[in-house]
Amino acid sequence: MTVNPKVNPKKLRPYDTPPKRRRSPIPGAPDSAANGFLAAAAVWFSLASGLGVLAILLRIGHFNITFPLGLFELAFQLDERRVDTAFVNATVYGWLTNAGFAAIVFMTPRLTGRRLVGVPGLNIANAIWNLTLLGGLAALTVFDLGPNQPLTAMPWLMTGGLAFAALIVTGSVLATIGSSLRTAYVSVWFACIALLGLLGMLGLVATVGIVDWFIHFDELPLALFSAFVERAIPALWLLGMAYAMLHYVVPRAVGHPLASGGLAILTWLAWLVLAPASALAALADPSIPFFVVTIGAVATMLLLLPASFAVVNLTSTVRGRWSVLLGPGPAAAAFVSVVFLLASTLLAGIRSLEDVATFVGGTEWDNGLFIWTMYGAFTLAALAIAQHAFPRTLKRAWSPTLLSAAAMWLVFVGVTVAGVALMGGGIAEGSFLAQGTAPEDIDAGILGYQAVAFGAFGLVALGALAHLADMFLLFTSARPVEYAIPGASAAAVASH
Amino acid sequence: MRLPAWAVGLTVFALLVGGVYFASNLAGESPPFAIPGASGPAPGPSGGADPAVGEALISQATPPCTSCHGPDLAGSGNFPSLHGVAEGPKSENLQDLAAANPDTWIHLWIDGTTPETEGIDRGGMPMFGEQFTPEQIDSIVAYLETLP
Repeated sequence: MTVNPKVNPKKLRPYDTPPKRRRSPIPGAPDSAANGFLAAAAVWFSLASGLGVLAILLRIGHFNITFPLGLFELAFQLDERRVDTAFVNATVYGWLTNAGFAAIVFMTPRLTGRRLVGVPGLNIANAIWNLTLLGGLAALTVFDLGPNQPLTAMPWLMTGGLAFAALIVTGSVLATIGSSLRTAYVSVWFACIALLGLLGMLGLVATVGIVDWFIHFDELPLALFSAFVERAIPALWLLGMAYAMLHYVVPRAVGHPLASGGLAILTWLAWLVLAPASALAALADPSIPFFVVTIGAVATMLLLLPASFAVVNLTSTVRGRWSVLLGPGPAAAAFVSVVFLLASTLLAGIRSLEDVATFVGGTEWDNGLFIWTMYGAFTLAALAIAQHAFPRTLKRAWSPTLLSAAAMWLVFVGVTVAGVALMGGGIAEGSFLAQGTAPEDIDAGILGYQAVAFGAFGLVALGALAHLADMFLLFTSARPVEYAIPGASAAAVASH
Repeated sequence: MRLPAWAVGLTVFALLVGGVYFASNLAGESPPFAIPGASGPAPGPSGGADPAVGEALISQATPPCTSCHGPDLAGSGNFPSLHGVAEGPKSENLQDLAAANPDTWIHLWIDGTTPETEGIDRGGMPMFGEQFTPEQIDSIVAYLETLP
């Protein structure tokens, strides 16, 4: 905001026109970037969970919607695969990535004691990311999805837009951290690698898309590459950010320092080595040497190691403040997230065993695990950071309300039940497939499981709406209050 | 910053266990990758049927095929061997059926409930069409066709 320097506001007479204030069209206030990403994340959370409900409904009803657009023989199509793809993209790139960006731009200045570099650029990145994603989701309903898994199904132009926005965020965060990375808190280390992982994967997908535009690859290599990225983005970006958020929020929510810095570093090291290798497990095909897939399977199983370390470290951090976990604040959400993180990592390890993969691979079991991982572990970590950060970035006095409690518990109950129902359905489906049961009989056999999952995931969607309403009420009606300003002094940062 | 000894020990132990698992799973072959949006694996001699499913169904049949045709389906007493059925029937009573239905005679014979097999002496062979769906019988045929 700038004031016309030719007019001295103190010398205005009653009949003078006040000087015009020119507002910059791009916000540049220190926490405006975190606010923007948090708001976008809350909207995407509602949208993604709504798409999840629709995706389960389509699995039950098996109906398609198609109508021509009257342009280049294109048609709008809504079928099971397209809605599944849109749901995964809205969840990963919409809800969880916006929450991840918000967490990074919120934590970095507070943990390094430096002012965030390039805030207007971050707000532009926010606009690019979310508009591109909206365009990408629209494209998913029109264009051929090819041999792609959901996270690589958008046209390369859209993925390139996402990569560009991620590049801006990465540049800003790295410029802010600068030379203080070595001494920074472990959350910054997790966030840096996670962000670089996301940028690398998106850049790779866009590059492969452009090359494929000129030299058409065969379906199989493209499908294998897509499967690798589908596994690598959650393992590197989302899991890394979940660790970063949890190591940041838990000590602050319970008011204790982290129990062991050494254990946190060991967690980081184990994750850093195992997460990229775990994506190799997705390359299961006779054309890939078997030992490569085995490396991926072993790494997936060993990811239980950093998860166990994080559970021990964060649980030890809570010591003596167990009552905080029963309340509706960020501590409860963070702790439930830790539990889901351990459970979903364990299940992913079991899933990577060859016999288990043969039995439940491609069944509803995978969808149940997806819901536990994305909406249990990662979503509850993101809810915790949102509930911790939003009052501070908006400078509002806030104590947990009925809505924030509703958001947490609805998501917890919905995710638990939906995940268990789908995993149960997947085991039943695996049994039917092993017996050579006809497809219509399999559909009838797992209908009950899907119906339970449909109802339970509806609770998650309600929880998302409660979170959105909570954020809105916080913005509109909470009392303004001052928090410590990041970058003001190291002492202020330490207590923030 | 001190690394907890128990955590370092656990890491070393987990890496050892992972190494043993890796070493014992070096050889093998992954199943064909299921390409999203593709119409499924290339159909075999019996369409999209799965021989592995057929092998499982053979022991689940009532009575199991092995109870009459022998434990390795190589024949037993009056019951013929099922090896080599892909090249044509060995029993006299099935020659006409195979001549009239060269691609589907095995399926029709196992099913036994269709008009094509009416009047043929089954020699004690159950009508498995009453137990299995056509897709399951396809899988059984696919398995039998793999027997040398």
